[in-house]
Amino acid sequence: MWRKMIAMCMTLSMLLTLTGCGNSKTASYKGVTDSQPDKGLEIMGDRVTYDPNHLVNDGKPVELEWWLWDAADLFGSIAREYEKIHPNVTIHIVNNPWDGFWTKLPLALQKGESGPTLFNVHNSYQHLLLTYMEPYDIDVNDLEADFFTAKSHEIDGKIYYCDFGIMTGTIYYNKDMWTKAGLTEKDIPKTWDEFREIAKNLTIFEGDEMVQAGFNYNGDFENLMQGVPYQYGNTIFDETGTIPSLTQDGQKKTAQMMLDFYEKDHVGDKDFGTDAAQSFGQGQSAMVYKWGHFYGYLKTNYPDINYGTFEIPTVDGKPFAYDRYNGEATPGINKNARPEQVEVAQDFIRFYLANQEKQKELCMNYSLFPANNALREDKDLQSNPAIQAVSEHIDRYIWPGAMPATLGDNLKIACQDMMYNGTSIEEALKTAEDIVKVDLSNQEFVASENLYDKYSERK
Amino acid sequence: MLRKRKPLQSKSEVILRNIVLTFLVVYMIIFLIIPVMIAFVGSFHIWNPLNGTYKWTGLDNYIRMFQYPTFWLSMKNTVIFCAVVVFFRIVLGLALAYGITSKLIKHKTFFRTIFYMPTVTPLVAVAYVWKIMYNPQFGLINNLFGFDINWLYSSKFALPAVMLMTIWKDFGYAVILFMSGLLSIPSDYYEASNIDGANAWQTFRYITLPLLKPTMVFVVITSLISYLQAYVPVMVMTKGGPGTSTFLSSYLVYDQAFVKYNFGYASAIAFFILIFTAILTVFSFRLTGDSTSKKKKVRS
Repeated sequence: MWRKMIAMCMTLSMLLTLTGCGNSKTASYKGVTDSQPDKGLEIMGDRVTYDPNHLVNDGKPVELEWWLWDAADLFGSIAREYEKIHPNVTIHIVNNPWDGFWTKLPLALQKGESGPTLFNVHNSYQHLLLTYMEPYDIDVNDLEADFFTAKSHEIDGKIYYCDFGIMTGTIYYNKDMWTKAGLTEKDIPKTWDEFREIAKNLTIFEGDEMVQAGFNYNGDFENLMQGVPYQYGNTIFDETGTIPSLTQDGQKKTAQMMLDFYEKDHVGDKDFGTDAAQSFGQGQSAMVYKWGHFYGYLKTNYPDINYGTFEIPTVDGKPFAYDRYNGEATPGINKNARPEQVEVAQDFIRFYLANQEKQKELCMNYSLFPANNALREDKDLQSNPAIQAVSEHIDRYIWPGAMPATLGDNLKIACQDMMYNGTSIEEALKTAEDIVKVDLSNQEFVASENLYDKYSERK
Repeated sequence: MLRKRKPLQSKSEVILRNIVLTFLVVYMIIFLIIPVMIAFVGSFHIWNPLNGTYKWTGLDNYIRMFQYPTFWLSMKNTVIFCAVVVFFRIVLGLALAYGITSKLIKHKTFFRTIFYMPTVTPLVAVAYVWKIMYNPQFGLINNLFGFDINWLYSSKFALPAVMLMTIWKDFGYAVILFMSGLLSIPSDYYEASNIDGANAWQTFRYITLPLLKPTMVFVVITSLISYLQAYVPVMVMTKGGPGTSTFLSSYLVYDQAFVKYNFGYASAIAFFILIFTAILTVFSFRLTGDSTSKKKKVRS
């Protein structure tokens, strides 16, 4: 008897487990109806405008999901603001952790209309998502007039997502160490040669032991290698945007310069900690190269560090581009969602792109230079040191395109080989180049370097 | 009059057995055999299930695999990793189990608990703690022993550092198994060897070791299988670096599949590892267990 009961319980639990894997969505959603098209609200935006005084989905209830990996409150507040205007719409925010997001999302989108209608995009995963995306139903010229990076996201005359803000690298320096070394704001270096001398001033040894690094790039070598070579006029890809080259003069010179900082100038050391961010936060390193999100990292983890920022130095003061940048993107729309959901999503995207206040909040949160031209001179944004440092020459930064993981990964391996394994610069870069070429030959990747408006100045 | 023989199993037991077996077989087919077959077919394709790419490429993935230097490096690292970790797991496990089961040692349960604790601690947590311990500036290991080594960023020390962590984490498992093996050896053998005048080493060499052979085979085979699939310590501690110094074959599969989304290529490597594991397992069986089976055959 007991055996039978145990067997039945096991069978039931297995069945329940299996049914638990199924779709849990029910058709119980009722929602409310909106019957008031004219809400007496102002039209938002400059060229991309949003007129709230209309009904979406004829005022009938509709619900959709918006998948994201971060800042659920902030993105959720945009959804709540939209729902206030259109009470018949319910947007469910689904926050997934970054790890696994890029596996879960494409698989969910494969399921068609049961996948999320809206989802946040990171351009490095464009190749996984584009198949499932609906282009924005907004005039491309209007988008390009309002958002200065929009053109770089144009695919066959259509835009599937664009940047609301962009991020790049800057030098973060410890102000207390700077003052202690007798340096002032006037000493902020413009060239790498000046930078080297400043770094030497900021380096402190006790006997043979380094106790303060002037410049620490442990963990950031590959990031520098992806940006600094542009200063020499080199691009990573050829004119077709398909054939990579990692063995050009600019790349070799950048690698040599970085290695020399440690090996010849001794302004830092590969064994002086393993993470420049932590070292800077702990007050052990005077200068580090970091991207905009470092502002938030310091605020959260090391709020007492007294620091400033300045723009990345250049080779000769007249760079082809100061550095590369990357954008934080607006949401994508699932083209296989139900027609009424796609209609609402298109309306929501227009609302999002015309809503400068919300874009400003997002840029502040992530320390991004705003892609919306109307926010360029915004005083609140300019008060953020990460944004302020790059604002003067922002048009001299290049976006290489939605880079496949293989490029960054193999550059990282090359940099570690040069730094820790004693591999020569030529050999390490050549190995990386060979692997990247093979990997990319299996992908339909085209770089966006040729969309940079100073592209003709390259060497 | 002949009495009707009662069946060995009742009808309801047979039904229950069949239900349970059916579920198990279905489970194995759905979650093991079908995925393995899909992966095998996928290894002949350029395959990215996330964006739907699935193009026939013949043997290209296998050819590319054999031409890829990192593949051979990762295989070399895997063999070294397995050999060293399995060796120390067995030596340490056996030595400690022998010590604990000795009559001289009291508080056996305490020692058994202490040695088994790392085994039941989550691997990711252990790897993170060891990563901190290996820090060149404030790590416990440098400070305790007065070294000045950047353990996880040195091509010379990174793999041994990962191996050391793995040995520490896993030797307790072998201790428990060897203890149960040792305790199951009948005391008659030891009494006999004592009467024959065998010394401690001779007793260990000619009594204990041969009788522990089944346990030894089990530990070697299960260890080999699990270490050939090891990638978590590398992912947490070194991410394959510095450069590619600590790439293990399973980490290479993970990297190709879930970082670069080359599922076809990753499947090709995974199949090579599967065949390699099978060969190594058969070889281990032969090496450690063949003589026993031959003797059994002769006796029968």
